[in-house]
Amino acid sequence: MTKGRFTPKVSRRTLLKSTAAAGVGILAAPAILRAAGGEIVVGCAGSHTAWMEGIVLPHMKEKFGASILFEGTKSSVNLEKMRSNRDAPYLSVVQMDDPVMILAVEEDLLTPITASAAPNMTELREGATHMDGMWCNYVQPWAGVAYNTDLLDGVPSWTQLWEAAYEGQIIVPSLQNTEGMWTLFAAAHLATGKPLGEAQYEIDAAFDKLAELKPNVLTTYTVMSQAFNLLEQGEIQMLSGNFSSYTLPRKAQGVPVDLAAPKEGIFAMPSGICLVKGGPNTELAEAYLNEMLGAELQGKVAEFASSLPANTTAEVSVTVPEGVPVFGPDWAFVSKNRKEWIERVDKLMSA
Amino acid sequence: MSVVSTRYEAPRAPWLDRFVLLAAPGLMYLALVFALPLALLLLKSFQNQDGAFSLAAYAEFFGDPYNLTVLWRTLRVALLTTLLALIIAYPTAFALARAQGLAQSLLLAAMILPLSVGVVVKAFAWSILFRSNGVLNDTLKWLGLIEKPIRMLFTETALIIGAANVFLPFMVLPIYAVIRQLDRSLPEAAASLGASPMFRFFRVTLPLTLPGVIAGSAFTFSLAISMYVIPSLIVGERQQTLSMLIARSYLFLRDDQLGSSISAILLAIAVAVVLGSSWLAGRVAGGRR
Repeated sequence: MTKGRFTPKVSRRTLLKSTAAAGVGILAAPAILRAAGGEIVVGCAGSHTAWMEGIVLPHMKEKFGASILFEGTKSSVNLEKMRSNRDAPYLSVVQMDDPVMILAVEEDLLTPITASAAPNMTELREGATHMDGMWCNYVQPWAGVAYNTDLLDGVPSWTQLWEAAYEGQIIVPSLQNTEGMWTLFAAAHLATGKPLGEAQYEIDAAFDKLAELKPNVLTTYTVMSQAFNLLEQGEIQMLSGNFSSYTLPRKAQGVPVDLAAPKEGIFAMPSGICLVKGGPNTELAEAYLNEMLGAELQGKVAEFASSLPANTTAEVSVTVPEGVPVFGPDWAFVSKNRKEWIERVDKLMSA
Repeated sequence: MSVVSTRYEAPRAPWLDRFVLLAAPGLMYLALVFALPLALLLLKSFQNQDGAFSLAAYAEFFGDPYNLTVLWRTLRVALLTTLLALIIAYPTAFALARAQGLAQSLLLAAMILPLSVGVVVKAFAWSILFRSNGVLNDTLKWLGLIEKPIRMLFTETALIIGAANVFLPFMVLPIYAVIRQLDRSLPEAAASLGASPMFRFFRVTLPLTLPGVIAGSAFTFSLAISMYVIPSLIVGERQQTLSMLIARSYLFLRDDQLGSSISAILLAIAVAVVLGSSWLAGRVAGGRR
């Protein structure tokens, strides 16, 4: 028997068939394969830096071999970036808060998320997908009052912020920041005695109550890091409206801070993720988003940031404080009135 | 008879000087990235939402007492920052100009190097300095000047001290440049004629260095009146300045017309200061001739 030498014969027809088959194969492959490599820019909150750098970026690099560049800033700045670059977006995915998402939808800056693009969205808890898939919540930190444990044993009630003993000892977030809403709603509740769900609409009463807080307020911030630094140093005793994904990791690092869950209620932070309309590298963007909604990554982020995952199959040991109401406001109402409130509170708190 | 022909050469206008062409790239760059956007910004401030001519944004700004408070605070902070920087910079510039060799190099490095440290880093450093148990309060307590800590953080005083620190090189260097060219024999001549040190300073040295003072003050004032990051970090939102109102208008209120009109007001102040200082410098220089 003579061994014949293999000589591939490739006819034009064979070549066309092979190319077509390869094309179909690529298209049929999961997005994860097609998304491999490449680069996208993700807009997110500055306070997300620790877990974005420590968890998300290495995960994406390992999963897709892709480079994820993230720009950490405020939700409103992310919105402005989308708005200013509407005709040639450079952000592919943005992670920002629900009230700003509403504005982005109104300005037609987002593209809906579908189950075919991000299959993990089907595993999210009820209420985590908004406005027909315009955005989804991924993890949900809770917000209360951060305090310095060297100076205070706790903050059992929101009324403590108003006590005369804390003159100049409190920093509150500006209403320009989402977490700024919590002090306003707490003030509405304390002023009216109504449950937070009803009190949130009693804004005049809330502003009257906020005026009483003024002597205790050292400053209002739009940049949280410096305010938190002052809390850590003991320059202030309480930082109103702070949230679990920022305070509790610092506590775990041995910093003398903790997050109190006042008896009147705590707040659910509305962390959302969306696809930018016309953003570059769609497939990688969808794959990134799908991973952010997936149980594995959500579990890691939620554990680190002491937050609740939106994916119902994610396994975490994190819990929200028990025995206190958890409140999620009417963001459409907030979104509609926020501009007026920002101007009003700036004037009210002006030194 | 011989005919002597002479060719008449008209004196060349200064703007025709070919060396002016060297400024062309810079001028084009400024026109593209500075003048054009500013012109569009100004135009926007005079338009309503439908694009028609309107002064509504200016009326809205000047009709709100809060905005006038912010305008006055911005001017006051810029003026006091400039004044403090001048008080520190004037003797420093003399020391720099009179120093020799290594001492001068060290002084120059000390003046320039802090520019390489970001404002954010400086702001955090200042919070260590100004806080209740910070270096300043501890020193004052140790000296027996205070019994309990005084609040320094988030005050206008802290903002002025911080801003003067950041902008100091912009005040020192123009004064230094003038002092270096100062004819040292002039104060000596005044002294030989019996002028007292005080008289020599106020009648000879200070007038001769005024162009540097005016240039440095114009630089510092322009920077101080438009600063955004420094007040955001040092005094926060409770003491807003015009720049903070501009950011708020664009980013949070989404009111382009209001933002552009406040920008135009800020620009008008800065331009008035620069033109005024140029005019003053010209008068000072003219007065000396």
